[in-house]
Amino acid sequence: MNEAMTGKEHTALVIGGGPAGIEAALKIARGGYRAVLVEKENEPGGIPLKLFSSFPRWENPSDRIGWMVNDLKKNKQIEISLETTVESAAGTDNGFNVTLKNTATGDARTLDVQAVVLATGFRLMDLSAYGEYGHRIYPGVLNSLEFEERLREWSRGLGKAPQAVALIQCVGSRDRSKGYPYCSKICCMYSAKQAGVVKDLFPEAKVYVFYIDCRAAGKGYEEFLREVIEKKHVRYVRGRPAKVLPEGGRLLVRAEDTLIGIPVEFAADVVVLAAAVVPHPETAALAKMFGASIDEYGFIDHDPRSHAKCADRVFFAGGCGFAVDTESALSQGAAAAAEVITLFNDNG
Amino acid sequence: MDTDFYIPMRLDEVESPLQTEIQKTLGIDIETCMECGKCSGGCSNAHIFDFTPRKVIQLIRLGAEETLLTMDALWVCLSCQLCVDRCPSGVDIPRIMDYLREKAHREGYRPSRPAVALFYELMCSCVERRGRVSEAPLMLRFNILTRQYLKDLTLGIRMFLKGKLPLTAGKVKKMDEVRVLFASWKRRSVKRG
Amino acid sequence: MIVAYYPGCSLEGVAREYDRSARLVCDRLGFGLQEVPDWNCCGATAAHSLDHELTRGLSARNLAIVGRMNLATVTTPCPGCSIRLKGAAMEAKKESGAPEVMHLLQLLTEAAGTEKIASSVIKPLGGLRLAAYYGCLVTRPRAVARFDDPEQPRSMDRILQALGAETVDWSHKAECCGGAFAASETSIVVDLGGQVLEAARQAGAEALAVACPMCQVNLDTRQWEVESTRGVRYDLPVFYFTQLMGLAYGFTNRAMGLKRLLVNPLPLLKRKGIL
Repeated sequence: MNEAMTGKEHTALVIGGGPAGIEAALKIARGGYRAVLVEKENEPGGIPLKLFSSFPRWENPSDRIGWMVNDLKKNKQIEISLETTVESAAGTDNGFNVTLKNTATGDARTLDVQAVVLATGFRLMDLSAYGEYGHRIYPGVLNSLEFEERLREWSRGLGKAPQAVALIQCVGSRDRSKGYPYCSKICCMYSAKQAGVVKDLFPEAKVYVFYIDCRAAGKGYEEFLREVIEKKHVRYVRGRPAKVLPEGGRLLVRAEDTLIGIPVEFAADVVVLAAAVVPHPETAALAKMFGASIDEYGFIDHDPRSHAKCADRVFFAGGCGFAVDTESALSQGAAAAAEVITLFNDNG
Repeated sequence: MDTDFYIPMRLDEVESPLQTEIQKTLGIDIETCMECGKCSGGCSNAHIFDFTPRKVIQLIRLGAEETLLTMDALWVCLSCQLCVDRCPSGVDIPRIMDYLREKAHREGYRPSRPAVALFYELMCSCVERRGRVSEAPLMLRFNILTRQYLKDLTLGIRMFLKGKLPLTAGKVKKMDEVRVLFASWKRRSVKRG
Repeated sequence: MIVAYYPGCSLEGVAREYDRSARLVCDRLGFGLQEVPDWNCCGATAAHSLDHELTRGLSARNLAIVGRMNLATVTTPCPGCSIRLKGAAMEAKKESGAPEVMHLLQLLTEAAGTEKIASSVIKPLGGLRLAAYYGCLVTRPRAVARFDDPEQPRSMDRILQALGAETVDWSHKAECCGGAFAASETSIVVDLGGQVLEAARQAGAEALAVACPMCQVNLDTRQWEVESTRGVRYDLPVFYFTQLMGLAYGFTNRAMGLKRLLVNPLPLLKRKGIL
């Protein structure tokens, strides 16, 4: 806990301590104001803490987020409240009176804030509707976040070295039938990253990515993808797999190589499912609490005239608005902070 | 196979009345197909199909009616429903296959697997006569008409001895209610034929 | 609960033991099955392969008869029939309403439940390791079948477990056995049915349980051909799940028609102390 906060009188409540929230808090403080950052977990950092390597520069995500968290902790204009949730909010003349609850102790306290930044991030969808891939049924089938953990273990020499890894794109995304119709934006890139890491760790392993399209729309992204294919020798097969079959202790992936049009099979030790990005369930409740609207998937809707604003004195950034990579989350956090600073400046 | 496929196809000249027909008659919009291949990937008989499900949709887009009505896949599609169940756009491929098969059969295209077509015809005529299917006479007729007199003979005898192949089955009493359905089918076939 | 009962053509012939065991088991569970009078063939694969309107007409006639029986539910043990009737009922509901169509597995799952099924067990099938095989049409297409999960179905597994048996986790629960091609393209059944048997064997199953006459006939009567094609001995009896229910309920193996199975189940059942 920080000592008595310094900074000008206005305080923003930042809900969510991932990259978007952290960046928002840091920039709000930079603008001279105060921020209270609440995070439901027991450490700030969000998804980058769980990642092993990053695109497009193969950096360690924990490093960068670690520096940001250090800055956060040192900043006297920012109060960090971990294991904290927002229970309720009542409108005031110039903001909200919020009730915060410490989930570890059960203690509650109230706080007056003049702006709110929703930065509750995203998670991966539950894959029980995709029984054809057997997530949580066949051992060895992991979703992409679980696989990041496996990469970390492998990098430490733990666990069995794989002979073959299959990565399946678009599980739950681009699916009007039993998933979400949208594209989750980041999976083509992170799958390429994951595939590249496997090859770095186990050059002899066969690593296949089953894709429909390869979406590499970003600075350095296409080049990254080509590096993974041409330099690291990850194979790409165009065809959305239909099924994973456990066979002889391994996992058989069945698909069609649509570029030639022949049925293919691939025996893997690990199958990685790039699950669709969905908002955390708390986002809908928080949106309602602060008068923001959400779309049919639970992502926050933005104000027509401002991409960072979702209601009066309420802003948002990062994964709670839609699938986002770390760079974009940071940019959006800064954009939300700029809105908060402008608001506070205008209100004197 | 169509010679059209041996010279570059002029996409700007492609017309597909079949696609429109399928949209109008079945209410299936194949533009929703995103060509991902999940259908083909899980198709039970993809390994023996001349055109896998994804290709069938593409052939419809390209207006390749002749290819579609003569393809072998029509006659070995199991209607297992795995394709439509997994398709992210819910394209009802089994229904399309049924439609193509119906059309091929009605318009007199020679099936690539005459035995399969014959089996269906025999089964239907059994229903037309008795309202129900009796397996033993059906199998016998099938074997005779396909000149496979000894096919499954041992198996058939074993099954018969176990009481699994009664020589007669029940018959529907109000057969006129059944016959009228078949008469209506015949009229439909002639009208379009 | 009184329910209309539509046996379907094969239950009068090749799947007679399915019919008998289903009736006895339903009776034990308190279902009054009333056979649909003067029912006609639903058309199965043949009709929908040649003319959809014919299929609809054949199914509609059956549903109309059920309607006159004044019963809200009709059940059938054959998935081919149930999916045709369900489709027709869905169409009819839009206009005038239609009875609820349920496959027998669905009726037992939804209207009886595993607790009730377990409570009637006299001779638990302890130690029997079964691969529950659902085939295609019990759960697909999901928009019509509306029952259980097409990829990882569990209804039959739960019933078998309620009988005291063990079910294996295996890859081919809902893959296709080769369907209607047993006579006209036998190689397809030998190929696909063979894959199902192989998967069951690899999963450590001692026998299969099925809910479809076509699956049973394919996997049982063609097992010998699969064995000689693959050069592997399977010796996997293929039970109708109702036969297993009946055994657990204390019916004799004769009443359950076990002798009709081509792959002899008696040695296995004797070894397990079930007979």
